[in-house]
Amino acid sequence: MNLLSWLRKVPLWSGFWYTLGVLYFILPLYATLDFSLRIQRDVISLLAYQNAFADPGFLKTFVYSNILAVITILFSLLLIVPTSYWIRLRLPEARRIVEYVTTLAIVIPAIVMGFGLISVYGAPIKIPFTSIQLTDSLLNSPVGTNFIVIMGYTVLALPLMYRSVDTGMRTIDVRVLTEAAQSLGANWFTIIVRVILPNLRASILSGALLTFAIVVGEVTISSILNVPAFSPYLWLMGQHKAYEPAALSFASFLMIWASMGVIQIVTGGRAQASVAH
Amino acid sequence: MGYLTLSKISKQFADAVVVQDFNLSIEKGEFVSFLGPSGCGKTTTLRMVAGFEVPTSGQIILDGADITDKAPNQRNVGMIFQAYALFPNMTVVQNIGFGLRIRKEPEPAIKERVAEMLSLTHLEKHADKYPYQLSGGQQQRVALARALANHPQVLLLDEPLSALDAKIRVSLRSEIRMIQKKLGITAIFVTHDQEEALSISDRIVVMNEGREEQVGTPFEIYNFPKTAFVANFVGTLNTAEAEMVDPVKGIVKMDGVQFESANQVEGQKRGDRVSIAIRPERFSFASEQKKANVVDCKIENITFLGSVVRIQITIGRTKFNMDTFNNPFLELPKIGAVTQVTCSREAVLILDRQ
Repeated sequence: MNLLSWLRKVPLWSGFWYTLGVLYFILPLYATLDFSLRIQRDVISLLAYQNAFADPGFLKTFVYSNILAVITILFSLLLIVPTSYWIRLRLPEARRIVEYVTTLAIVIPAIVMGFGLISVYGAPIKIPFTSIQLTDSLLNSPVGTNFIVIMGYTVLALPLMYRSVDTGMRTIDVRVLTEAAQSLGANWFTIIVRVILPNLRASILSGALLTFAIVVGEVTISSILNVPAFSPYLWLMGQHKAYEPAALSFASFLMIWASMGVIQIVTGGRAQASVAH
Repeated sequence: MGYLTLSKISKQFADAVVVQDFNLSIEKGEFVSFLGPSGCGKTTTLRMVAGFEVPTSGQIILDGADITDKAPNQRNVGMIFQAYALFPNMTVVQNIGFGLRIRKEPEPAIKERVAEMLSLTHLEKHADKYPYQLSGGQQQRVALARALANHPQVLLLDEPLSALDAKIRVSLRSEIRMIQKKLGITAIFVTHDQEEALSISDRIVVMNEGREEQVGTPFEIYNFPKTAFVANFVGTLNTAEAEMVDPVKGIVKMDGVQFESANQVEGQKRGDRVSIAIRPERFSFASEQKKANVVDCKIENITFLGSVVRIQITIGRTKFNMDTFNNPFLELPKIGAVTQVTCSREAVLILDRQ
């Protein structure tokens, strides 16, 4: 018997790797938690948390980023679900192109995109090849700026959102379900809303969660376009304070776990069921 | 003019012609099967009736109305797919009621109709289950109930049994036929399985390369195939090259062995090359009395198939299959033995050589 297969038979060995893996994730988290509780010398306290949450900048940026995240999710769903559906149904040859386009967000650094957005939208928008001006620079108004930021976020979220939704489309037979619904008299709107979307619930939720995490954690575009987002705030605070950023980091971990838990509860049985199917 | 008429239907994809000049008229309440190998255009033809494909040319008339260019959701046609196509997010009851809800029928009417469909397909016990909790056969019965709930004018079945295992396939097949007869609904059934087509249909359309080769009852298709393709595709068949000796009496010669045929083919002359075809079950061992077509043969091999025993024989230089019913008290000849077999004049078919 060779050594490798012998090692595989020892439960202790797999236990070792498992423990190592768990430690890899838990230790930094534990260190952050421990550090965040030691703002007072020799006393364990939640003072850092109180300070962090009491800062008016915290609530403002946190709410702002959350609202932007929700809008980004809705916008990217509106863009991705019909696109992916149509590609699966009628344009399978376009899938490679769209997949390539969605990965551009990973290939092009966010800083390049940020400056690109400024250079394009910093100027007044004209009809190409004429001097007719459609609107003033979008970046001159807060609404315009937020719009540009949301578009930027949408591009960043594209690779994850597209892949989540497309994987979901693959697990159900989109074409046959569409034809079945059509032969029962359903129109396109009914098919998407009552047949396709409900069966994509799990993958849409996972895409939404990933988008949420990207938007709330996004620093580059938010800083370059100077919007009051959460991550630049966190970064800024890290420059001036020691314990509060650690407290906020740990708190945001808890929040993400909580939202993952909610998703598990909402989709749990169904997501599993559709996989089993 | 039938209830459903397809006239001069053609369908072309890019540069491939899939269906060519297809004509068919189906009576109300008739069960018609499209039978053919894959790629013969049978599914495409069915999909044109459903509205998922638009014919390149030709016309489809259903109950007097031209539906050629109508969208699938504007036709009242029920469709059953090989992959069941149940909505995974809905229970059996919701699946069956889907079409009725689309039509905005009143809720009590939906309930009543769904209950009726559940009892028709014996699914009462599974009413509140989701598709993934059902077996393949049960799922296909739900699909049948769902398609029938809308009172469709035509029921279209696209290889509905191909994904099921053998036993379920046979029982669901007779169930589909029973329900179809009970409701008197017009149905088109697409299959590549000849046994399925023979057992379930009023009429069979044998298709090859986008054309109908022969249209007829299962009895006609099996016993009197008009072309070599039909003869070969439906059932097992022995074919051999032969030479016409007497076109009037129907005498042909194969490897120097003479066969008499009751099958007259027009325009044949003495000395013409022809194909003859004999079904394996039409051979029997020759008894004492002198009959037509008693020929010498050599037993090559014997295969036991359960109810049937298949014996390979050589007549002249040509190998033939011969089927006899299994009988435990009957002695079979030994392999290598030389004996005589016979078949009636009607059993020898002379085929068009196309």
